[in-house]
Amino acid sequence: MEILVQQVLNGILLGGLYAVIAIGMSTMIGIVKLINLAHGDLMILSSYLSLVFMSWLGINPFWSFLAVVPAMFFIGYFVQAFLFNRVLGKEMEPPLLVAFGLSVILQNFLLLVFTPDARSLMTDLAVMTIPLGKSLNLPVLYLVDFLIGVGVILALHVFFKRSYMGRAIRAASDDDQGARLMGVNTKGIYSYAMGISMMTAGVAGILVGMTFTFYPHTGPQYLIIGFGVVIIGGLGSMIGTLIGGFILAEAQLLGAQFVGPGYQLLIGYLVLLIVLAVRPQGIFGKA
Amino acid sequence: MAEQVFRYRWLVVGILILALGTVPIWGSEYFLLFFLLFCLYAGMAQMWNLLIGYSGLLSLGQQAFIGFSGYTVAMLTTYYGVYVWLSVLIGGFSSVLLAMFMSLFIFRMKGMHFAIGTWIFAEILLLWFSNWKFVKYGTGLFIKPASPPSMTTIYYAAFIAGLGATVVVYLILRSRIGLGLMAMRDNEEVSETMGVNVFWSKFFCFLVSAFMTGITAGILYVFQIFIQPYKAFGIDWTIILTVSVIIGGIGTIEGPILGSLIYILLSQWLAEYAHLSLLFLGLIAITIILVAPKGIMGSLQEKTGFQILSARRR
Repeated sequence: MEILVQQVLNGILLGGLYAVIAIGMSTMIGIVKLINLAHGDLMILSSYLSLVFMSWLGINPFWSFLAVVPAMFFIGYFVQAFLFNRVLGKEMEPPLLVAFGLSVILQNFLLLVFTPDARSLMTDLAVMTIPLGKSLNLPVLYLVDFLIGVGVILALHVFFKRSYMGRAIRAASDDDQGARLMGVNTKGIYSYAMGISMMTAGVAGILVGMTFTFYPHTGPQYLIIGFGVVIIGGLGSMIGTLIGGFILAEAQLLGAQFVGPGYQLLIGYLVLLIVLAVRPQGIFGKA
Repeated sequence: MAEQVFRYRWLVVGILILALGTVPIWGSEYFLLFFLLFCLYAGMAQMWNLLIGYSGLLSLGQQAFIGFSGYTVAMLTTYYGVYVWLSVLIGGFSSVLLAMFMSLFIFRMKGMHFAIGTWIFAEILLLWFSNWKFVKYGTGLFIKPASPPSMTTIYYAAFIAGLGATVVVYLILRSRIGLGLMAMRDNEEVSETMGVNVFWSKFFCFLVSAFMTGITAGILYVFQIFIQPYKAFGIDWTIILTVSVIIGGIGTIEGPILGSLIYILLSQWLAEYAHLSLLFLGLIAITIILVAPKGIMGSLQEKTGFQILSARRR
């Protein structure tokens, strides 16, 4: 029984991490109508960036946030300004294919520089637990993932609702033409949005790097997790993204518990397919 | 120039086909291998292009059909001793069944969601086969037919598959369905009100693509003798097909052929640096989308009207 409670608890905590992986994708889909197929790879790029900063400066992963998150903003801004903005238009294929090309380039670039070895961002938190019962433990690292994840999502919510820039971004996404007639540079706005999306990817990348091992090829796996969360939760809903994260993580962990560890990812995908077939707009999405 | 080429186009096409069909007679062993891969990749690229270039379906899950058919061939020949070419054919039909099952889910999605839906299916199959004892988990299966076909026979099979894929696309485009597809590509809503059955046209192309991709992959695995889930269901397949078609030209019949030729040349040239060749391909693909989004053949057609296999009626 306690094992089951443990898995449910871990699932909730892991869900917070999944939600922060997905929130950047959801932002881009919602605002720019762009599925960034390179989101997972850019996230893994930030894990490697953090690794580089850590070994250069001898700091722990938490300090690397200060360097990696701003760096990711600029990377996102320029990727949008120089690549995606040029191909945004009526057709949906070109941006998708550019993102796909970017993903291939990033993966093979990382492979070239960092070799295919497994890496992780070492931290003391990984072995710490808070005992809750006889065999029930709260892994501290998962708790940190959860708290930071929920914090990022709340911050983003406030940003889009309250700040001038956030409202400008929403205006540009609601009515591209109208915003342009009012003198808003919508392409510039999109670049900002991508920068913000990449900041969340930077946070997610460091958290993932601390929690799991990563390779140059792990990006697509997290892209699919992120996309799964977006689909399950529904677009444009911050709460939906959080709940989507919980559902996907619970499905994976309980699936691993009842069916076998090899099937962890498989059960997650199956839940995703069922949601897609029954409610394509997502549980919290508007039809 | 363009006019003259067009007048003699069937002669040109005939000579090319004849040259390609007789490689085992005139070519060295290296040429045979080179053109074997070329025929197979061109066939698969043609089928990916049928989806994106003509039906508006972006599939990132062609590897689902490639792996599924490959494994069907491996299981039938190795475990049940089925005749090798019969099992390749069954592999094609098993792909169609898979496509039908997939469409229950993914045809509810549109555009980008469809693309990722196909990919998720391929990932599911990857996990399924790598956890399945019957196919020896992730270690892979050897394909051991009772009487292994010779290289020449495999080449002819590959040649027929590649040529067949091209002919099938050409015939579909010249047919009623093809006219509907083009109307659909220009404006889906209007074409639907004008009587084009959008769903069935897309579904039909999806099944054709699954069948031909399955057959081609079956032949590929008969040639490779070994199948392993991480390779067979890997996203690398879709990367290769995508990049080849983008370079050659989306929505042209010649594009996938030219693109596969360039891909094979590049990968042979950079054979020792596999990652570099993918890196280059990614760079080339992005450059082409930014500079000449219609690819080599598409841009040529636009500028000079040069077109060998026109799907248009004159």
